[in-house]
Amino acid sequence: MQIQAQGVGGLRQRLRSRFRAWVNRRIPPSRVVTLDQRRIFIFPSRAGFFFGLCLLLMLTTAINYQNNMSYALTFLLATLFIIAILHTYANLSGLTIRALRAQSAFPGQQAEFDIQVSRRKQREHFALYLKWPDSTEALINLLDEDQVEVRLHTPLGQRGWYNPGRLLLESTYPLGLLRCWTWIDLDLYALVYPQPLLSAELPGLASDRPDGAAIPIAGSDDFYGFRDYRRGDSLRQVHWKGLAKGQGLQSKHYAAYADRSVWLDWEMFAGHPVEQRLSHLCYWALEFERLNEEYGLRIPDVLIQPGSGEKHRNEVLKALALYGVPERQL
Amino acid sequence: MKMLQQVPRNALAWIIISMFTLLAPHAGRIPVWIMLIYLFAALWRIQVYRGHWSFPGRWVKLVMIVSGFAGIYLSFGSVIGLEPTVALLLTAFALKLIELVSRKDAYVLIFLGYFVCITEFLFTQDLLMVLYSLLNVIIVTTALVALHQPGEHRFNRKTMRLAGVMVLQAMPLMLVLFFLFPRIGPLWTVPVKSHTAKTGMSDFMKPGDISKLSQSADVAFRVQFEGEIPAKSGLYWRGLVFSKLEEGTWSNLSYFEVPPKERRQQEVVTTGEPLNYSIIMEPTQQNWLFGLRYATPDRPGILAASDFRLYSFVMIEDEFQYRVSSWPDAQLETELSAWRREVELRLPDNDNQRTRQFASTLRAQAGSDEAFVDAVLQHFNREPFVYTLQPPLLPDVDGMDMFMFESRRGFCEHYAYAFTLMMRAAGVPARVVAGYQGGEVNPVNKTVIVHQFDAHAWAEVWLPEKGWVRVDPTGSVAPQRIEMGLEEAVASEGTFLSDSPLSPLRYRSIRWINQLRLRYDALTYQWQSWVVGFDGEVQFQLLRDVFGEVSAGRFAAALIGTWALVLLPVAISLLRRRETRPQRPLDREYLKVCERLASLGYPRYAGESATDYADRVSAQCPDWAEPLSRLTRLYTELAYQTPASAASEQQFHRALRQFRPRKRRDR
Repeated sequence: MQIQAQGVGGLRQRLRSRFRAWVNRRIPPSRVVTLDQRRIFIFPSRAGFFFGLCLLLMLTTAINYQNNMSYALTFLLATLFIIAILHTYANLSGLTIRALRAQSAFPGQQAEFDIQVSRRKQREHFALYLKWPDSTEALINLLDEDQVEVRLHTPLGQRGWYNPGRLLLESTYPLGLLRCWTWIDLDLYALVYPQPLLSAELPGLASDRPDGAAIPIAGSDDFYGFRDYRRGDSLRQVHWKGLAKGQGLQSKHYAAYADRSVWLDWEMFAGHPVEQRLSHLCYWALEFERLNEEYGLRIPDVLIQPGSGEKHRNEVLKALALYGVPERQL
Repeated sequence: MKMLQQVPRNALAWIIISMFTLLAPHAGRIPVWIMLIYLFAALWRIQVYRGHWSFPGRWVKLVMIVSGFAGIYLSFGSVIGLEPTVALLLTAFALKLIELVSRKDAYVLIFLGYFVCITEFLFTQDLLMVLYSLLNVIIVTTALVALHQPGEHRFNRKTMRLAGVMVLQAMPLMLVLFFLFPRIGPLWTVPVKSHTAKTGMSDFMKPGDISKLSQSADVAFRVQFEGEIPAKSGLYWRGLVFSKLEEGTWSNLSYFEVPPKERRQQEVVTTGEPLNYSIIMEPTQQNWLFGLRYATPDRPGILAASDFRLYSFVMIEDEFQYRVSSWPDAQLETELSAWRREVELRLPDNDNQRTRQFASTLRAQAGSDEAFVDAVLQHFNREPFVYTLQPPLLPDVDGMDMFMFESRRGFCEHYAYAFTLMMRAAGVPARVVAGYQGGEVNPVNKTVIVHQFDAHAWAEVWLPEKGWVRVDPTGSVAPQRIEMGLEEAVASEGTFLSDSPLSPLRYRSIRWINQLRLRYDALTYQWQSWVVGFDGEVQFQLLRDVFGEVSAGRFAAALIGTWALVLLPVAISLLRRRETRPQRPLDREYLKVCERLASLGYPRYAGESATDYADRVSAQCPDWAEPLSRLTRLYTELAYQTPASAASEQQFHRALRQFRPRKRRDR
């Protein structure tokens, strides 16, 4: 019995992968997809089958009562179903779906995927339902506007590139009797950073390195200038003299100098597993960024000069995210 | 999938509208409390929508369902039969609205709506009702469309447009299916219309019955003659033959009262051409059919009884069409059997002695049966007898004595009764025949419309050598009735259709109303003969006429061919490319230039502005730089700066002519 069950399971697996390969051939991944008869599937919906059952009941009524107008009404509804095939198909046909952007995020977070649905023809499209296998769902109309941007959220998996799979776009408009759908691979990838992992302290500071001194973060004690007092500033920071002169409440602002840069080095966490190393490095990169310190990254095959700011941070995180990840074919 | 389960407000509004439009035609057939349930259900659902009330709990629902069942049982006395079933369906339809929460419920409700639509046809297939039902189908379909338009949070009349278009597109295909779909017999017996009142003639007659029937302006049947329409005075539509008189009531002999060897119709010698005609009867819930004298039916299922009337084996529940051939001059039953003679002479004992006495005296004075018939008719004619729609009520005992010698006011059944009674009393076999007399000729389509007020009773006497001869004593009293009709006969009385003041028949003198009425009647006849007459046999005939021979291959070819003929234009109109924005001539000219450049290897990028594009192309091909940049400058000026001056448009066209990019040899 079990062997047989396995056999069936294996068959199902094989069929599924066959099917996937077929869909891939039929609708290859692309950033922009315009829906046409190659890409649109259509089949009666559950309501459609129920409707068919009702028609059968109506037909038996017509036959049993030998009632010509009942025949006529039954046939009218049956042909309405046929006409609905064209209308349902037309609701998807000619739509263009464009991958806009995917937001990078940390594991466990929801990544935002932005796509745009636009039409080419001046006709109303109703009830377009969009969803990736694990994402949130969206239901949009294209009435007065020619294009609509849709944002879907999906929880992220492991570090590296995350592909949400094939986007399901379906509609049963106008009668709900037929379901018209497509599965498209928008070739849209979100970058998943390593999971930040706190380590008690930054071990093995590589001060002996010739290319820059890594120093512990000891707070900022070099005076930088004044700025308006903000809640949370220490009373010791308040520029009392200025206040006395009637300049308003100001704080003294301290900053670290640019040359105080830190190297986050692969070797700092020697002995830990790869993922854990990346997680620690990620944590510290975020920490330095938060403290407005400059930091550089040195991991196998990647060297990023010290810097700070969002662009720098993203570069560092991307390098960490893609460590050991095979190159994605673009 | 939760998102898809929402029911937009627009859909809810359309569902409620469709419920009431579906209910309307059933209104006369169902108890009032069901209509109240509809109002209540609509109110409840609207209050739920507005957040004032909540959906009913499980127990409340159960109570409502059970009490709905109980109410129908109490109102109809049973839950079996067509009317209770339909009432049940309608009640369920209303109650389902109260628990309409998700799209799934809406599907159930809407499909139920289609089914309610079909039940109406089981009661009537009238042309107006069919048109109304078509409107209902469109409304229900609109609700279905609205259900799939998320975000429509207010009632939108325009939703109906798409539903209407789709139904219209489906129409031609429906007609093809209608004609091609094979008609088969009933699969099993179904509940019948047990609660509909029987209409028209009943199978017994008491004085006063027919005058009551004559108050109705309903149509009894319509006749289409193949040849000339005979004179009105000859149109005696025989329906029932009353041979039995018991307790002052005439009734016909039931099939089993006739001994087996008398059941067969006696052979009739027919000479000359028959009158051929077809009749479409309105439903009567009875079995008898009408026809001119010596009528022979042309289809199985109709019995020609031994007293020469037509009888259908099945009750006439829907419009019923049949064709008849009649020989009005044929002699009927020239040989009278002993049993028949005895039956047609039988009289109850001791009733109306004075009239019987009078008859015997008159017979004795007359030399023959024929002379006696004339004498009685002359008596009616000479004495001050009055033909009236309002005859006085006669006593149960000796009623005819009262009529003959005292009141002398009566309707046709009084005269027929008295005449037949006198014949039998004098030993002449006679019987009362009931049916309709005359009819209105519709000049539009040359049909004869027979109304209920044309109901009539007359007599038949059996004379040796001649057989059964029709005698109409009413003609001796009111000859106008036979020649012109009831309206003229009672004109002085002013009692014609006095109970139905709104009947269009009362306004026959107003020309346009009458024209309209006759035209609609002609249409109704056309519709009935078409809808009613279309059965397996007619279908076979029709298909053979069209296809030559009926074969599966031709069937399929016809189906596919006609469907393609309809579906292709629909598909093309739906999928045809229509650009999102209509183009201005200016843009069209500019885009042509872009296309030309693209074909030379310099495509314009998506989102690239005209100026950027010109700069980029100019950088690559310096010899185009000057004309292209001028062209682009003029174009952008014209396109984005208003108002454009006439001069600059001319300049643009000049620039267009000057810029003729060609493939460069050096590349």
